[in-house]
Amino acid sequence: MSTHQLPEHPDFLWHNPEPKSSYDAVIVGGGGHGLATAYFLAKNHGMTNIAVLEKGWLAGGNMARNTTIIRSNYLWDESAAIYEHALKLWEILPEELEYDFLFSQRGVMNLAHTLGDVRESIRRVGANKLNGVDAEWLDPQQVKELCPILNIRDDIRYPVMGATYQPRAGIAKHDHVAWAFARKCDEMGVDIIQNCEVTGFVKDGNRVVGVKTNRGTINTEKVGLCAAGHSSVLAEMAGFRLPIQSHPLQALVSELHEPVHPTVVMSNHVHVYVSQAHKGELVMGAGVDSYNGYGQRGSFHVIEHQMAAAVELFPIFARAHVLRTWGGIVDTTLDASPIVGTTPVDNMFVNCGWGTGGFKGTPAAGLTFAHTIATGAPHKLNRPFALERFETGALIDEHGAAAVAH
Amino acid sequence: MLLISCPNCGPRDETEFHYGGQAHVPYPENPNDLTDREWAEYLFYRENTKGTFAERWVHSTGCRQWFNMLRDTVTYDIQAVYQMGGAAARRARPTRS
Amino acid sequence: MANTAAFTGINGLREIRRSPASHLAEAFDTGSVQGTVTLNEGPFQTMVGVRVDRSSEAGARIASVTGGLPERCGDVGGTERVSVLWLGPQEFLVVAPEDAHDSLGGDLIGSLKSALGDAAGQVVDLSANRTTFELSGPRARAVLEKGCALDLHPRTLKPGTALNTEVGNIPVALFKTGEESFRLFPRASFADYLGRWLLDAMREFASPEVP
Ligand SMILES: Cc1cc2nc3c(=O)[nH]c(=O)nc-3n(C[C@H](O)[C@H](O)[C@H](O)COP(=O)(O)OP(=O)(O)OC[C@H]3O[C@@H](n4cnc5c(N)ncnc54)[C@H](O)[C@@H]3O)c2cc1C
Ligand SMILES: [Zn+2]
Repeated sequence: MSTHQLPEHPDFLWHNPEPKSSYDAVIVGGGGHGLATAYFLAKNHGMTNIAVLEKGWLAGGNMARNTTIIRSNYLWDESAAIYEHALKLWEILPEELEYDFLFSQRGVMNLAHTLGDVRESIRRVGANKLNGVDAEWLDPQQVKELCPILNIRDDIRYPVMGATYQPRAGIAKHDHVAWAFARKCDEMGVDIIQNCEVTGFVKDGNRVVGVKTNRGTINTEKVGLCAAGHSSVLAEMAGFRLPIQSHPLQALVSELHEPVHPTVVMSNHVHVYVSQAHKGELVMGAGVDSYNGYGQRGSFHVIEHQMAAAVELFPIFARAHVLRTWGGIVDTTLDASPIVGTTPVDNMFVNCGWGTGGFKGTPAAGLTFAHTIATGAPHKLNRPFALERFETGALIDEHGAAAVAH
Repeated sequence: MLLISCPNCGPRDETEFHYGGQAHVPYPENPNDLTDREWAEYLFYRENTKGTFAERWVHSTGCRQWFNMLRDTVTYDIQAVYQMGGAAARRARPTRS
Repeated sequence: MANTAAFTGINGLREIRRSPASHLAEAFDTGSVQGTVTLNEGPFQTMVGVRVDRSSEAGARIASVTGGLPERCGDVGGTERVSVLWLGPQEFLVVAPEDAHDSLGGDLIGSLKSALGDAAGQVVDLSANRTTFELSGPRARAVLEKGCALDLHPRTLKPGTALNTEVGNIPVALFKTGEESFRLFPRASFADYLGRWLLDAMREFASPEVP
């Protein structure tokens, strides 16, 4: 387990300014993606007369609720490129943001439980290597060596037949990531405005010129949507549609334990992914609920299923107590890939569809989305992730790498 | 856990059902006449309503029949259950109160 | 086991037929708590899946073979010898003793097929699809309640009712045959799982009750 101490931090990392009457750009949504976008707009494009509008408190949405797994071993070239870029940014960001958010590259394993899984995983390892992503295939014995508490007996319902392994992958402290971005944004002059809900848009013809909020109308040259589970709601306000369905996604933590779990283990097949956080709690994510939901909670049988799978894979967990469970609202697309780019409304841009796995993409989403907003055209990393792909058919099907687990 | 009232079997646990997404999306009369945009809309675009949503469910471990339901996607309150092919009974028949 | 009766037929394969939970017969025996809750796998039965609109002419013809078709969820039709379970508005499971099977000298499936004739519907031999478990005794309900979300209380669930539902997370048809007895119809491939699940759920009743 990490020997890091959580850093001391000052009482206030950002101010709470009143919204100004006008900005050069407004970012809707103060989760990880909104904050990272504002950071790169200020840092890379010199746009500091901008605001991040958050309807609740900073990073209280999926940013507060995810299981913080970071990896880049996606199948397709387009995804490998953007997620690997994100991973490289994660490696330098603690220094750049001057904030140790405990990015711990303890490796991530994706288990294979069937011959189909095995073939798919080995294919993915091959594809990853061609894209310069560190990936290995482990046999069950090697899996056991890396994570001794895993049950690799072959008489269980879903035996471990091997795993892909990415050594550079890992976890980070999600709220510290948000605070790190927020502090730098604030230092550069970005207004971070909490308790400010966007309720509509002001348009001049097909061009967005302002946002309506519960704290008044704010004029703006450009709008970037970073609203995760609420992206469809905002798009509807702006007069266009998104191919997004919002679903509940749940996770839970146990009480604190001595260090027992040295890495991160994910299983798409049985819908569970597990790591041990710095303080010692076991963090486990589940699958999405099948139905659409904006309730930030899902059904109990999903948790039950997840626990059954976890206890079979990690018999040692059988006596661990669940401390709390929660849910977020994830914005899923049909190809399990994000949408980052322009919209049918002039000067309005959208970053969404990261679904169950967008924490890891936070820095790259911010970088490419800021580029798109500042220049009006996509960065080469997010060009394939345009909304138009649903019309052209150039989908990026990452269900194998992204579907349930992250 | 949702408690869903199957029109044939009465109230059952959600685990006996499967979700079918938005209701009342007709197959295009003549797919060949559609533009790429329209075809994309049919294939990939569904409403993602926050609030009362008309959706399809199938009672897969029960009577294996599909039906429609109005459900609030925020409170998860089920407001009406009605037959496949029936018109969306906008908040018409509350099944639970 | 009861399932070794010397029927011929099924191309002579009857002799080597094994019921899906036959390997658990002994475990069922030792796991049963006489006077409290008992479990055993029932004999082979002839089972026929029927799909027909019961209000149609073909429905009426089929009903005359089976001794009626149940009208709604929970209802069981038939005769002393044949039970007809309601699976859906136009779907039924006909359950009869093994010797009703046409390959063993019976004529159930043939009669159903000719009753359906050319009408819209289906008659399919499903005799190998499911097995039957008999769970009975004063604690039978308590055992089921560990893994079945239906209201099994006698004020709601009456003998003679059959419902398609889940027990221990798997689909079963659950037939309440008496005040304290249930017949479960799991698919053959789930028989091992459900058998062990029930044994596990019964285990506590072998120990004295903690007041
Ligand atoms: C249980 C769970 C586990 C997960 N595990 C992982 C994981 O292990 N690895 C991984 O990579 N990803 C994971 N994810 C996904 C990841 O959390 C999301 O993809 C990512 O956080 C989305 O970006 P965000 O941080 O900007 O979203 P959010 O934090 O949800 O930010 C969106 C913000 O928009 C605000 N907003 C919405 N509407 C309005 C409005 N009208 N006006 C103003 N503000 C508005 C919301 O309040 C919210 O704060 C998980 C998600 C969940 C729910
Ligand atoms: Zn039903």
